[in-house]
Amino acid sequence: MEILAQLIVSGIALGMIYALIAFGYQLTFATSSTLNFGQGEALMLGALVGLTLVGHMNYWLMIPVVMVFGALQGVFVERVGVLPTLKTKSEFGWIMTTISLAIIFKNVAENIWGHDDLTFPSPLPTAPLQFFGIRVLPMEILVVVGALAIMLAVEIFNRKSIYGKAVVATSNDRDAAGLMGINTGMVITFSYALSSMTAAFAGVLVAPLTLTGATMGAVLGLKAFAVAIIGGLNSGMGVIVGGLILGIAETTTGYYISTGYKDVPGLLLLLLVLAIKPAGMFGKSVIKKV
Amino acid sequence: MNMKIKAVVTAIALAASFSVFAADSIKIGVSGPYTGGSSPMGTSMRDGAKLAASEINAKGGVLGRQIELVERDDQADNTRGIQVTQELINKEQVVAAVGFINTGVSLAAQRFYEEAKIPVINNVATGSKVTKQFLPPEFADNYVFRTSANDTIQSAMIVREAIDNRKFTKVAILADSTNYGQLGREDLEKALAAKNITPVAEEKFNIKDTDMTAQLLKAKEAGAQAILTYAIGPELAQIANGMEKLGWKVPMMGSWTLSMANFIDNAGKNGEGARMPQTFIQEPNTPKRKAFIDAYLKAYNPANGRIPSPVSAAQGYDSMYLLAAAIKQAGNTDGVKIREALENLNEKIDGVVTTYNHPYTHDNHEAITMDMVVMGEVKDGHVVHAK
Repeated sequence: MEILAQLIVSGIALGMIYALIAFGYQLTFATSSTLNFGQGEALMLGALVGLTLVGHMNYWLMIPVVMVFGALQGVFVERVGVLPTLKTKSEFGWIMTTISLAIIFKNVAENIWGHDDLTFPSPLPTAPLQFFGIRVLPMEILVVVGALAIMLAVEIFNRKSIYGKAVVATSNDRDAAGLMGINTGMVITFSYALSSMTAAFAGVLVAPLTLTGATMGAVLGLKAFAVAIIGGLNSGMGVIVGGLILGIAETTTGYYISTGYKDVPGLLLLLLVLAIKPAGMFGKSVIKKV
Repeated sequence: MNMKIKAVVTAIALAASFSVFAADSIKIGVSGPYTGGSSPMGTSMRDGAKLAASEINAKGGVLGRQIELVERDDQADNTRGIQVTQELINKEQVVAAVGFINTGVSLAAQRFYEEAKIPVINNVATGSKVTKQFLPPEFADNYVFRTSANDTIQSAMIVREAIDNRKFTKVAILADSTNYGQLGREDLEKALAAKNITPVAEEKFNIKDTDMTAQLLKAKEAGAQAILTYAIGPELAQIANGMEKLGWKVPMMGSWTLSMANFIDNAGKNGEGARMPQTFIQEPNTPKRKAFIDAYLKAYNPANGRIPSPVSAAQGYDSMYLLAAAIKQAGNTDGVKIREALENLNEKIDGVVTTYNHPYTHDNHEAITMDMVVMGEVKDGHVVHAK
């Protein structure tokens, strides 16, 4: 029982990392039906910039700076990679542009920070806490709390503020929102900024647990993509549940079946969801009118 | 005007002398991963080889000609490894080559050297199969040599340390899912079987995995007294950190990669005490080693005065001296002659790892034997001789 609980706790911590990155996919998909395939690289850049800053300032002060950096990076991706393809109404051009930008970011990071995995100093004690025999790292708790907090903050912003309402309106119907006088282009840029900002935030949050390096984003970005598909690309609840399912499935399968097969159940679930409910477990299916 | 003419004349003269120089030099290929996760090993190997080549050149080169190294990055990628190997053979026309860090790349790419009858010295790749890919009767001559401790040696040493020296009876194997990890796991199983021991748990993980809870809990529940590893630095660090998280601390011992800087740095205090076979430890315990360490630090100035991968640097350095001696003995740069010279090297080579006295024969292409390898231990962020 204790072992199962330990596995679930570790799975939750892992799953929330996936959920937070998946949330970033969702933000841009809602407004522009495009995804930033460089989400993992946005996370990596956030972590590495954070690592550089943390040499000069306190961890907590560094977070807002990194978030601003992330937002600017998101704007850059949108302006350079996505906007031109939206303008030309290219259906899938943004896939190639965001992937190539991701590769460029990775190479730039390798040139600046080197090829090795670096250690990110932990802002919290590294000794695990013990609850009824279950051991949790303080950093893991911070990841879960931080992930929930930022998602909640973005949701509240979208629902309560006038700018957020513009985002929601654009997500619901871009053309109608445009006719109502909302600058939908601006909203899309903004959603990219928000998306990369959460990724950069995720980066500094997970970096003390994972290792920090130019290649850290690739696997995380991919798993988060699976989470976004499982949960549904337009459901905030979906990514959290999806992330938890994938994280817990990984750790429990690893223990009870075989560590060689730990990624299989998550991917089976992905196939299952795509076959039965392509919009995701919590996604609203939209009928495309032609 | 006068100045300009002078400059032009000097430039032409310089260019002419360089082209003579280039035509006359002996080209040797150096390939390895200089970017990516294996780059600490690749760059240390390259720098070691460069150091040896510059020393040889300073003493007048080989056969009165200078050695010219042609460096190529294989990115630890099999396909890329094949490309750069073909480029080195066909375009650069190297007379011999040193390199290959990753067993997978080596097994995929070195057949081009074999086909072209160009000797290649694997100076870091450790897979047991590396030197056994081209054996008679199918291939009359084998052009693949090695200056690293192969996995058969390493796994035997790891098992000896765990079972004979430390008297453990229950051990768990944790290996990554790459060719390196899984071939190493097989070697470990064989070495354990020779002592009538079956591992209590055998767990796998992928490159870039960050959570080792499941693997470690299984080993813990099976009652493992020690963890034997076959993986590379970053994931090894996650294992050490994972043990700390679970509050379960047993000795860690494994292949030589436990000496990688990215394991030592990322595991911090959790990595202390990890033990691994080493052909070279950055301790100036012989005059030759002291000279090598000093020269390396002076030439490349690595962070914290620590060679990123001392083993790779030493083996890279030695491989270049062995090759130079073979070319000298061959008297020309014909691949067949160099191979024959390597297989019957008359000159004793005073290397960093050991003194090579007839290191190779026609049927034995392994320069390193078990008695040349020592156990290293992580202590205060450095690898030292295990006591």
